[in-house]
Amino acid sequence: MAEKRALVMHAKDNVATAIEEIQSGDSVRIPQGGQSYTLTATEAIPFGFKIALDEIPPGGLIIKYGETIGKASRLIPKGALVHVHNLEGTRARGDLEGRERR
Amino acid sequence: MSFLGYVRSDGSVGTRNYVLVIPQGLISKMICDFVVGTRTFQTVDHGSGRTANDRERIARVLIGLGKNPNVASVIVHAASPGVGYPELRAERLADEIRSSGKRVEIIDPAKDGGVYGAIAKGQQLARSMVYEASKLRRVEVGDEHLCLGVKCGYSDTTSGIAGNPAVGYLFDKIVKAGGTAFFGETTEIIGAEHALAKRAVSPHVAKEILDAVAYREELAKSTGLDIRTINPIPANIKGGLSSLEEKSLGAIHKAGTAPIQGVLQYGERPKGRGLYFVDCWMGSYSIFVGYAAAGANLVLFQIGGGGLSGRDLLEGCPTVVVPFLWCTANPKTYAMAKDNIDFYSGTVIEKGEDPEEVGERLYRTVIDIASGTFSRTETLNYSDPIDLCLEEPRF
Repeated sequence: MAEKRALVMHAKDNVATAIEEIQSGDSVRIPQGGQSYTLTATEAIPFGFKIALDEIPPGGLIIKYGETIGKASRLIPKGALVHVHNLEGTRARGDLEGRERR
Repeated sequence: MSFLGYVRSDGSVGTRNYVLVIPQGLISKMICDFVVGTRTFQTVDHGSGRTANDRERIARVLIGLGKNPNVASVIVHAASPGVGYPELRAERLADEIRSSGKRVEIIDPAKDGGVYGAIAKGQQLARSMVYEASKLRRVEVGDEHLCLGVKCGYSDTTSGIAGNPAVGYLFDKIVKAGGTAFFGETTEIIGAEHALAKRAVSPHVAKEILDAVAYREELAKSTGLDIRTINPIPANIKGGLSSLEEKSLGAIHKAGTAPIQGVLQYGERPKGRGLYFVDCWMGSYSIFVGYAAAGANLVLFQIGGGGLSGRDLLEGCPTVVVPFLWCTANPKTYAMAKDNIDFYSGTVIEKGEDPEEVGERLYRTVIDIASGTFSRTETLNYSDPIDLCLEEPRF
């Protein structure tokens, strides 16, 4: 089976962005510092969605563009899809500050 | 490094050559329906029940559109003769637009024989103004006369990877040539503001960027909601974006890497050239007219679109007088709306095209459209009504 492609935006990132449709079990080529390695997708990663490059513990920061894009709301296994089901934002969280909903 | 434009008496250069009729309403519509080469402004924001600050925002947009380099001359009709709010009185709007050296005429139903009379007088005036405007010829001018605005929308992960960087390359090139460029959407720099503040030309400007974000984030928190239930919007999430921070960090690529000269209010004209941040809401039909009022002569809407289906982008131009380009890097979006997309940068993803080559292709597209080639939306005689970026409650 042909390897699938994903992009890493910054060396510090722990997620990569799929640039083709990835199926569970596919081998994904991950670029790293002019070289590359392969990672097995543990579930389907649609075009444009993110795959975890490492296991990320609950509360662990999720890094893309070398910056924090959120934190893990539960354990994210290596090779898993990273999206709203397991990533939560850390900014403009009016819901976390016990504020009355207007 | 040049385009063909219309040189105005204040030294600004237009990419188009329209007669503008303001404000919105029956009189403006009847004039513009009858006379070629005219443009008017469609909005539901008349100023009624608005605070002085918001009325001034409306006035700033109307005056700014009148002074826009793409406008040859202007007709202002008196919407509420003698009884309107001071900010929006026809004489005030006309005087401020005249300071740019343009011909501005006022029509007034109270003096010109009622609405029918004002329409007839306006049609006659507009015909003579369009005739005079048609005598002006395009001449070759340098890229320092380009003034661009960008918004990204329906963003998905292709936006941050390829689409926004292509626009960023264009912005860097135009700013380096001495031109002007605007980006904005304060909510959508939350999570990326520290990177932008580092690029401010002074500590004062850095503070203005951070303050604008702090104000907007506090306002968002005051709703008691997780911002993710509002922004990123469902189409962003369906396109693969997982948080506002991720959206913001991708979004800032559209502004390139140039130093940030200042923070502008909605519709405010910059004092100099270079890259400016506009403190405003992201609304597609608000932000572009704000850029036009600030003096933009070409604007770009860089979209992802991965979360859209069945949308061919058959939407009118929300800038009144300024050419508006649709750009995307998403191959599905391009296939879905090929007839309406002016520029495609998905080749970076599909074929590994060098981002600089893509940026150069976008630059050539922009020069062609600035020089007179229509953008796709300009072939439509339609625009949705514009929703202005007002900030305060109505009473």
